Amino acid sequence: MTASSVQLSLDSIRKSFPGKGGSVPVLDGLSFDIFERDFVSIIGPSGCGKTTVFNVIAGLLEPDSGTMTFRGEVVSGLQGRVGYMMQKDLLFPWRTVLQNVMLGLEMKGVDRAQALDTAREYLSTFGLSGFENAYPKMLSGGMRQRTALIRTLIMDPDILLLDEPFSALDYQTRLYLEGVLLDAVETFHKTVVLVTHDIDEAVALSKRVVVLGNRPTTVKSVHEIGLDARSPIGARSDPRFSDYFQTLCGELEIQTRQRAA
Amino acid sequence: MATQTLKSSPTLKPATATRPARATSARTRPGPGSLARAADTTLGRAVIQLLAVAAFFLAWEVAVRAGWLTEFLVGAPSGIGRVFLASLLDGSLPVDTWYTVIEAIIGFLIGTLLGSVAGLGLWYSAFVARLVEPFIVAINSVPKIALAPIVILWFGTGFVSKVALAVSLTALVALIAAYQAARDADPDLQALLASMGASKNRIFKSVIVPSTLPAIIGMFRINIGFALVGAVVGEFISSQRGLGHLIYAASSLYDLNTVWVGLFVLMFVGFLLYHVIDFAERRILPWRQVTTAGQVQV
Repeated sequence: MTASSVQLSLDSIRKSFPGKGGSVPVLDGLSFDIFERDFVSIIGPSGCGKTTVFNVIAGLLEPDSGTMTFRGEVVSGLQGRVGYMMQKDLLFPWRTVLQNVMLGLEMKGVDRAQALDTAREYLSTFGLSGFENAYPKMLSGGMRQRTALIRTLIMDPDILLLDEPFSALDYQTRLYLEGVLLDAVETFHKTVVLVTHDIDEAVALSKRVVVLGNRPTTVKSVHEIGLDARSPIGARSDPRFSDYFQTLCGELEIQTRQRAA
Repeated sequence: MATQTLKSSPTLKPATATRPARATSARTRPGPGSLARAADTTLGRAVIQLLAVAAFFLAWEVAVRAGWLTEFLVGAPSGIGRVFLASLLDGSLPVDTWYTVIEAIIGFLIGTLLGSVAGLGLWYSAFVARLVEPFIVAINSVPKIALAPIVILWFGTGFVSKVALAVSLTALVALIAAYQAARDADPDLQALLASMGASKNRIFKSVIVPSTLPAIIGMFRINIGFALVGAVVGEFISSQRGLGHLIYAASSLYDLNTVWVGLFVLMFVGFLLYHVIDFAERRILPWRQVTTAGQVQV
């Protein structure tokens, strides 16, 4: 694996939230590294604070203590360096597909004519030509999420942060979009951090999987996924897929009896 | 704009595509409800609505002529028509209408603008918003009409006092509507922009303003009515002109036909202004006109 240099490093990140009976610790000294052009999935039991990790990396939440190092430089958050996508497509309903895709470029202050060109080019690459002037409401869930992905990619972020981006879609659309994502990540040389509850998706897409423990959360283990196939269906067809799947299920202490039944 | 997009793209079908088919099938297949279906077009509905209005006035006129109703107490359509024509021709009705409309529109514009700007502005500081909230609730709980005598004392019996009354009736409505809409704006969209490194002003411009527009324009409809109320009540209390003055003066003389002329013109003005806002809404919010029926698949 060529991805050996560390791009983003989280070191002893702690975060607690105010609760009824005093503060509730959520992240309890979280440390892990993300390499250049890595594809890391973060999985963990429900309510373990996956989204908190996501928000800390995105710079939407300030950790109580601990440091984040980006390419050797201590940073407080990665605003402007990350592109993020959530389960909700977060498209602006009052903007057309084209205007939605251009959002990030506008924020960066890119010249309008140039932004238009770039946006049209991306839309055509991702098969959304002809829908430039459609409003998000007119599109299917899969197309909306594809638009959201383009909006994320067009900003050329260093890291793509994805929080269960496909979990609201039907399985076929999801397989399709996972493929679109993998291709895009290859083409544009991106690092991806995927927060998910879906072990199947984590194994099929990732190079590495970070497993979080129960709250207050620390990193329980990190697994290298050595599947060669770089496609969602290919990966799922690999004989080693189910080994990884079972190992990770074991890590999450999911009842094995239910699987046997 | 939205419908043009729909038409130009062959894969997208307008949501209304099934309308003509329904109308023709109604003609070929008689049965209960088929008449209603055939008549359910813009023209069909307009004809029925006009017939209903005509029938109402006819019944009224007949009832007065037959002596079932006293013209002295309820007026009569023929008398209303006579008064309307006479006051239209001598120019007094257009002048009165113009005064009231201008008072209401200026009051509406000032009140709505001040209120909306203040309400949206409160989004910037949760602290200030919490601080002023009890005051806003308290002031809003006063029936603003009760301010009318003071407003007349302060601003005189002329034009300005009517505008001031319309402002007092509309400003807080606008403020509360705008503030609530700003507070309800999707926090995830704001977080998304923040993660792109957007400033608070940028988030205000790109998320808060557009996402509050539907609620704000919806409030315009309510406020245009309130502005008319302000203008008319101001004229009731003290004025020499306006539809409120016309109605008030005529009713003290038991001139019911003139009172009705004033009321019908007011109704017409309110109706017209409502539709102006409706038209503006469709222009300003094309994305709201889109339905999911035109949705396409991957």
